[in-house]
Amino acid sequence: MASTGLSRLRKGWAIQIRVIHALMIRELTTRFGRENIGFLWIMAEPLLFAGLVAIVWRLMKGTSEHGIGMAAFAVSGYIPITLFRHGVSRSVAAFTANGSLLYHRQIKILDFIIARFIIEVLGGMMAYIFIASILIFFKEFPIPDDIGLFIAGWSIYCLFTFSLCLIIAPLSEMSEAMEKFVPVTTYIMLPFSGLFLMASWLTPKVREYMLLSPFVNAMEMMRKGIWGDQITAYYDPWNPIVCSIVAAAIGLVLCRRVRRTLSIQ
Amino acid sequence: MIICRNICKTYKHGSNRKQVLNNINLVVERGDRVALLGRNGAGKSTLIKLIGGVEMPTSGKVVRNMAVSWPLGFAGGFQGSLTGYDNARFIARIYQRDYSEIRDFVEDFTELGKQLKTPVKTYSSGMRARLAFALSLAIEFDCYLIDEIILVGDQNFNRKCHYELFEKRRDRTMILASHSPHVIRQLCNRAVIIHNGEASEYNDVNLAVEKYTNL
Repeated sequence: MASTGLSRLRKGWAIQIRVIHALMIRELTTRFGRENIGFLWIMAEPLLFAGLVAIVWRLMKGTSEHGIGMAAFAVSGYIPITLFRHGVSRSVAAFTANGSLLYHRQIKILDFIIARFIIEVLGGMMAYIFIASILIFFKEFPIPDDIGLFIAGWSIYCLFTFSLCLIIAPLSEMSEAMEKFVPVTTYIMLPFSGLFLMASWLTPKVREYMLLSPFVNAMEMMRKGIWGDQITAYYDPWNPIVCSIVAAAIGLVLCRRVRRTLSIQ
Repeated sequence: MIICRNICKTYKHGSNRKQVLNNINLVVERGDRVALLGRNGAGKSTLIKLIGGVEMPTSGKVVRNMAVSWPLGFAGGFQGSLTGYDNARFIARIYQRDYSEIRDFVEDFTELGKQLKTPVKTYSSGMRARLAFALSLAIEFDCYLIDEIILVGDQNFNRKCHYELFEKRRDRTMILASHSPHVIRQLCNRAVIIHNGEASEYNDVNLAVEKYTNL
């Protein structure tokens, strides 16, 4: 009995991988088409956003602040935040937008969220690598001090963003008001995302509150991975991990409930 | 075998609740050709969607012991912004079939020619029906769920469908929602009338059609 359960699990797993793969290709062709650079557009937006902000910050605030390069600091903040904002906005109404595909039983609603999110993550990573390589060439970006820590930070950041998407996607199907609130909420949370500053620049009292935010913890990890000894970072990887698990559990329950009432044209 | 056990389906729109299906029990054996009869809005499409797993019942359970197609109808199953070929490729991927085989069959069956390179949203309902039928026939299901679609095509399409579905695959199971007494008498061996959310089964198709016309 146990072995049949396991083989069923393996079979289901293989099907889901195939479905997610097909959904990603479908998503890329519908969003970017096959003309000119095609799917490479996925990194265009984070690239432009982070690149332009880096230039503006560099011109307005000078070459460095607290001993770290302005352009590099802007990039290290804006790429993750773009991932978060895009991930969240792509999750809104993801189920109804893809509703007609639910005619195929092997496609589950979670696959929609996963496929869209993987695309955003790939786009963000490609943009990051691209822009960092250019900046490293111009000596505006350091060679990462601890790439492992950076990747760990990025992964945790992605994990937490993904678990939020798991909540937002079903909620946006439950109430239309949710849809209106998402852009405002993502904007208001910007100061708590660790985008503009390091925890070490704050007074201990404020820092304590800032470190309650899972985003700040993950951001500090990424920046510590890039700058190493040049900066002091404060983080606890367990904060974002535990928050992700809680959020994902809530999200999965919501997804399950929404699927039961989803009506498909 | 497909078993529907105590199926209820209620739709909620704001504070409005509408019970479409109320405690439906239905067993479809292998090889059965079941006609679903009912007036517009009686719940035929809803029942087909529940059997196909597109929507979930509010309560009750659907058990499928064979490969059941997706509901073949006017809507659903396709991404409008993608071309016919892209949709075929997508379906080949998720059903793990060889794309070139599916493409050949679709080209041959649909006779859509260059239209297959244009987005599905530009297709007429007849053209969509051709594509849906072609893809589901290429994948080969044990049971086909057909939602009213059979009558939309032209003569040529009807003839092809007839041959592929009712002659070549006459051993397959079929659940067919239709308003046409002629089609039902010709093709089905059982009938279910859905009225006021309840289902009544008939083993005599002629009797069922008679009851239905008097509703």
